[in-house]
Amino acid sequence: MRLNLVLELLDIPGQLMDVLGPVGKLGANIVTVIHQRDVKTERGTVPVQITIEGDEETLGKVINTLEAQKIQIMEIDGVLRKETITTILIGDIVDKDVKNVLKNFHEVEGVKVADFNLKMSDHPEKSASKFIIEAEYGKRRKIMKKIKEIGTSYGFLVINEV
Amino acid sequence: MKVCILGFGAVGKGVVKVFSLKKEELKERYGMDLKISAVTDTSGAAICDEGLDSDLLLEVKEETGKVSNYPDYGISGISNLEVLDKADYDCLVEATPTDIEDGEPAKTHILKAFSDGKDVVTSNKGPLALSFKELASSARDNSVKFKFEASVGGAMPVINFAHETLSGCDIDSILGILNGTTNYILSRMAKEGSSYEQILKESQELGIAETNPEQDVEGLDAACKVVILANSLMDMDVSLKDVEITGISKITPESISLAKKEGYLIKLIGEVSSDALEVAPRLVKEGSPFAVEGTLNVATLKTDLAEDVTVVGKGAGSIETASAILSDIISIYKQI
Repeated sequence: MRLNLVLELLDIPGQLMDVLGPVGKLGANIVTVIHQRDVKTERGTVPVQITIEGDEETLGKVINTLEAQKIQIMEIDGVLRKETITTILIGDIVDKDVKNVLKNFHEVEGVKVADFNLKMSDHPEKSASKFIIEAEYGKRRKIMKKIKEIGTSYGFLVINEV
Repeated sequence: MKVCILGFGAVGKGVVKVFSLKKEELKERYGMDLKISAVTDTSGAAICDEGLDSDLLLEVKEETGKVSNYPDYGISGISNLEVLDKADYDCLVEATPTDIEDGEPAKTHILKAFSDGKDVVTSNKGPLALSFKELASSARDNSVKFKFEASVGGAMPVINFAHETLSGCDIDSILGILNGTTNYILSRMAKEGSSYEQILKESQELGIAETNPEQDVEGLDAACKVVILANSLMDMDVSLKDVEITGISKITPESISLAKKEGYLIKLIGEVSSDALEVAPRLVKEGSPFAVEGTLNVATLKTDLAEDVTVVGKGAGSIETASAILSDIISIYKQI
């Protein structure tokens, strides 16, 4: 069987070899490699498309090995991998309408709110709410910026991840 | 090497103390004969071209509060600029109080020293955050050395570390905890679950937060450091007004407890990168390099070759800050 992967590599010499070496060693056949150094992600890394061929067990081993080497896999067979983003808002969210805030978050491209927690305070303006967001891989910074914009527009203090 | 110290507050006193502690060692190790030719405070100055006695300086200041009471060499009412003309010195240590409105009077002192052909070492964030390019180009034009490690993160080495140790790397971004007072407050809030107001009050009683804590808690102090790092390490041309600043005064115990449930801490983080120049409360993973407690400062430099490099150190304190000033003076001496 064949597997199409999109990997995210650092733009430094030797990175591609570090990936292709182990793939070959595990017995998988490398069908194609598309490596365009001038196309970069927002983190300055280079997305590399590779197609590999082998039996299911071998391909599974390849994925595990790549992950163990901390090589980011952005896509497997056209399916984007997700990453989670946690954000905390401080402010009276009950008064500001939770539903609208959630709706606005959902409207951001590539975003799904996976979890929502509320901790009320005796002073409503000091209440805190936590959002766990599932985002498309590689869009983290853009999404965090957008979430901050939305939260700030409601008058919340937005605490994003580093 | 003769040094003139403007300002005899916590930093100035720390510098005189470390000079006294390290005098013999500096002579043995580097053959460096370090002399203090002038020290000033608001009362005036003590000036002696052959060198003032460090211990006597500290004693006079401690007992009378005025350096101008220094026996034989004390001068009452003399201004800092007059001292720069009168004293014989090679390197100015600018340690007058920080002003983040116009950076004065420190800026004038530094520019004067440059035009007189003197090297300058400073811990003063004001002029660096407001007029970095002007100061750096004046130093270049006058072929003198200008060092300011102590202005960011006290004893945490970051500027010289990036310039010298990481000199082969490009720095893509810097993220860090650049203010000790806010880190202390947030760490205690996380530990005890108490309110911001309560911990701030206790910090003031302990002398960790100032009576007027605004510059620290509203993020201004950290923003000055963001500007200094951006200009000096990432070759930007930015000023304090370019930084988006959010402080910690609105952080609540409720938000900290929600963060903790998910394995996060809330820290005041300064960021310098191509898409952000910012000071804001952020979530950091417990157990990550940013999860430092107390008054510690930390900075992570993302580089092209070495990837992430993180430094941690005491962000404030008289002796700690003076240690960074001393390192700068030694490094200037070694280059002469």
